[in-house]
Amino acid sequence: MKLTVDGTTHDLDVEPDMPLLWLLRDELRIHGPKYGCGIDACGACTVHLDGLAVRSCQITAQEVEGAEVTTIEGLGTPDAPHPVQQAWIDEQVAQCGYCQSGQVMQAASLLALNPAPTDAEIDAAMSGNLCRCASYPRIRAAIRRAIQSEGA
Amino acid sequence: MRALLILCALAAPAAAQSFDPIAEVLLHPRCANCHVGADGIPLWSTEAGGTQPHGYHMQGGESRMGIETLPCSTCHTNRNGVLEGSAPGAEGWALPPVEMQWAARTPAQICEQLKDPDRNGGRTLAEVADHVGHDPLVLWGWTPGPGLEPAPGTPEETVAAILAWADAGAPCP
Amino acid sequence: MASVGKIARRSFLIGSAAVAGGVAFGVYAWRKPVDNPLLADLPEGATTLNPYVMIDADGVTLITPRSDVGQGAVSIQTYLLAEELDVDPQTVRTSFGPASGAYYNGKVAAEGMPFAAWNDGLVSRVGRSAAGPAAKFLGLHITGGSTTVPDMYDRLRAAGATARETLKQAAANRYAFVRADLRTEGGAVILPTGDAVPYADLAQEAAALDPIEVAPRAAEGWKWLGKNMRRTDMVAKSTGTFRYGGDLVLDDMIHATVVTNPAMDGGVVSVDDAAARAMRGVEDVVPITDGFAVLADNTWRAMAAARALAIEWDVPTGRPADSDAMWEAHTAAFIDDAQDSRFADDGDVDAAPGDLVTAEYRAPFLHHAPLEPANATVLYTEGGTQVWTATQVPIFVRDAVAAITGQDADLVQVHNQPSGGSFGHRLDYLWVQQAAEIAVQVPGRPVRLTLSREQDMTHGFLRPMAIARGRGTVDDGQVRSLDLSIAAHSVTESQIGRAGLPAVGPDVAIVAAAWDAPYAIPDRRITGYRVPAGVGVSSWRSVGASHNGFFIESLLDELIAEAGADPVAERLRLLHDDASRGVLEAVADMASWNGPLGDGKGRGVAFTIAFGVPCAQIIEVSDTEAGIRLDKLWIAADVGQVLDPVNLESQLSGGALFGLGHAMHAEVTFDNHRIQQTNYHEYESMRLWQTPQVEVRTLETLPTIRGAGEPGLPPAAPALANAIFAATGTRLRDMPFAKSVRFA
Repeated sequence: MKLTVDGTTHDLDVEPDMPLLWLLRDELRIHGPKYGCGIDACGACTVHLDGLAVRSCQITAQEVEGAEVTTIEGLGTPDAPHPVQQAWIDEQVAQCGYCQSGQVMQAASLLALNPAPTDAEIDAAMSGNLCRCASYPRIRAAIRRAIQSEGA
Repeated sequence: MRALLILCALAAPAAAQSFDPIAEVLLHPRCANCHVGADGIPLWSTEAGGTQPHGYHMQGGESRMGIETLPCSTCHTNRNGVLEGSAPGAEGWALPPVEMQWAARTPAQICEQLKDPDRNGGRTLAEVADHVGHDPLVLWGWTPGPGLEPAPGTPEETVAAILAWADAGAPCP
Repeated sequence: MASVGKIARRSFLIGSAAVAGGVAFGVYAWRKPVDNPLLADLPEGATTLNPYVMIDADGVTLITPRSDVGQGAVSIQTYLLAEELDVDPQTVRTSFGPASGAYYNGKVAAEGMPFAAWNDGLVSRVGRSAAGPAAKFLGLHITGGSTTVPDMYDRLRAAGATARETLKQAAANRYAFVRADLRTEGGAVILPTGDAVPYADLAQEAAALDPIEVAPRAAEGWKWLGKNMRRTDMVAKSTGTFRYGGDLVLDDMIHATVVTNPAMDGGVVSVDDAAARAMRGVEDVVPITDGFAVLADNTWRAMAAARALAIEWDVPTGRPADSDAMWEAHTAAFIDDAQDSRFADDGDVDAAPGDLVTAEYRAPFLHHAPLEPANATVLYTEGGTQVWTATQVPIFVRDAVAAITGQDADLVQVHNQPSGGSFGHRLDYLWVQQAAEIAVQVPGRPVRLTLSREQDMTHGFLRPMAIARGRGTVDDGQVRSLDLSIAAHSVTESQIGRAGLPAVGPDVAIVAAAWDAPYAIPDRRITGYRVPAGVGVSSWRSVGASHNGFFIESLLDELIAEAGADPVAERLRLLHDDASRGVLEAVADMASWNGPLGDGKGRGVAFTIAFGVPCAQIIEVSDTEAGIRLDKLWIAADVGQVLDPVNLESQLSGGALFGLGHAMHAEVTFDNHRIQQTNYHEYESMRLWQTPQVEVRTLETLPTIRGAGEPGLPPAAPALANAIFAATGTRLRDMPFAKSVRFA
């Protein structure tokens, strides 16, 4: 199967039911997306599939054939971070950081679809992403910062 | 006509001409948990028997397909997850229209709803039965995936029960 | 992060004497500097200035031996060293260093001793100070107990300062200047001429000198410490480029997962592995203790094959099998024979005058459930074994692996990894032992073991469940007596026992934050009862204080309500410790405690000292149609000295929210010896939508610096329960509260 990840097209021979997460991590060695639960309960594996946030632990190879996948590592880089990543850096959101790939991808999707979400809209879009360290106050602050930086 | 009556009698016991067996299916968590009201919050039922709002603050939104920035399809695909606790799925995963609310309603209320084209998707009762027998999302209720108790009986039995009930004049409790 | 071995191989450094930081206790062996463990791994011509500083051709590598489980340990250790050594904390290389007694934790052992943090009397000081040398001799290279900053504050600054001055002396010698005329900047010694000599150029000469010990710089001169600093891992963690132990890739690596008896221990009756072996990518199915490992070329394939194993499990006997029986074992423990401690026994609680209040409180088993599932990579060869894993106890890991491989401990190298959370989980290492058991069956090939979330959740060592029975009296509008009895398993017995060490004497954890609560209640008694060992239990963020804060602050709140007194004013009247009064006054000020409150709202307050940090919290809730909504959380804490204000706030806020999420929603229950919560869908905790607004204020009046990872947790649950009482009149005595009320 063919799959484009972060702008690079790959030809892969995997089972149709292999979750995209493990295709990324163990076949392509792209480790930004994380395994936290495997059941859509934590959001650490969140990537963008044709621009929309999805849980890569649930989407399988057969469902992403020919699609364009963006991972946290394709969203931006340490030298050229995406505005949401920059907001995350500036607000110093991360503690253990394990969920933050998914948090950032979900927030980037939120702001792409709704550039000026209300607090309630932020809560509604971001509560599928679990942070066991409870960095939530800074997640809120970073999203508000990103809204302002995007709007400016 | 006689043949049809016999067929119905074969397909469903006489008691199925009442609404009770249908209500048993429609109010089962696999059905009622998505047939929720205007708040658009799907329900979860636990093994212990309790029912609670869908975890993680999920909302069906006005579209009933999730809020725009977090559609149901973020997690729910067109098939069930493999692991217990993972998002189940079926083609067209979404909440039914708000006028089709069953959760927190009585069998009598649901019975009247089911006969009202304004609240059943503009269907005749035969079309309702056909919908139950063919809609992938409805059929999912009998194959809900790991860790979830299926709706009672089979789709075929429910279709037959609806037809028998309709044939008996669709009496409501 | 480069491994020490890798750095050493490309280094050309020379050994030297070591720096022993901390306080001298007048015992020769204690004063004697520790051996520098970096020397053991250095090839000929290589150099290290002390156990915390290595310099090679590419520059400086700082050793940050305390594990980073998300609390920012690498960052703060880097800043402590960099502040003195004048290197850029954002670009300097760091390593966790080897497992070594040189990195003993001189503070953690003191936490297990029954001396209250507020008590600075002679007996307490001597007792606490004895724990440091004990830790040194035991070689307790441990991260835990919120000790990283307190233990490393002096030690790392001293190491950085000594390395800096020794490098300056080397430059002074070479270029014929006086050391006092030189300065340092950006990893180089700056000569009076303005020329910069990189440390790498001076390392060999510096290492040949006797270390020059100087006092660390005064706080007024700090460049980074005490100001808002950027954690060194922030960019990588925001861009998905940070690498955890579970991201490790080695050549020819096997991916593995395990499935073991769902009752934790207990053997296998039978197995049919034919289906699993037939699956794509599966290399082997091998036995390990209490179960099997599947070896494959991809983690998902290993996990899928593990689910295809048909195993009949043995069922353990001799301990309670389900939650009901476990609660019964706890209610049965309130007897003289099971009494473990009575560290507080003032006045006579049985003769105290006034109106009697009694109540019973319960706290459930809890899982740490860090988001990164437990993992370990092990490469076994006859000549030695390499272990890559995130651990808070590298020496225990090293010795446990050596016991499995049958090798001397010095042939086992532990490469500590940063961790996607812990909350105490990575004080255990069952999965490392499992990885080692697999590795010895495939010599020469690295095995990366990743537990499935389900395996991890159902095979954890838990925060103990606990029951508290409280009673007290109120008289003339004041709290007159308080008598609290707490029954729980002993974390110390269970956890230290797993390391093969005996735990003697009473377990302070059973009564922590209750017996030493600094309330001058005339008749006061705190009794601990030890429930016989059952399922394995563990240190969970703030350990015993995680339930005892709830117990004592709930009981006290009930007494104050019975007395008709104000919850803040009465606590202030009772508190005899200045720092404690300070944080309570601060939080009342932040929350405008005496200010107006809308309809359907309530405020609750709680105060605890845990790990030496007095912390007071106020929570404001609304009683809405959708349930109880947490509106606002105010936190005030005194940590003595603030080094990293941003991360300190994150730790206090994170601790409180972690505590609230579990207090609201989480419990681990058992049926037929099996943990019933297999994944996060059945183990809910705090999420964004239920997170209140949080405001944190830190005070700096304590005489010693303290750590903040844990102290924010204990007051959170009681503050919430007390707020719900204020809003609704309902007392919540059992956690999780969601069993009794709905949360919006």
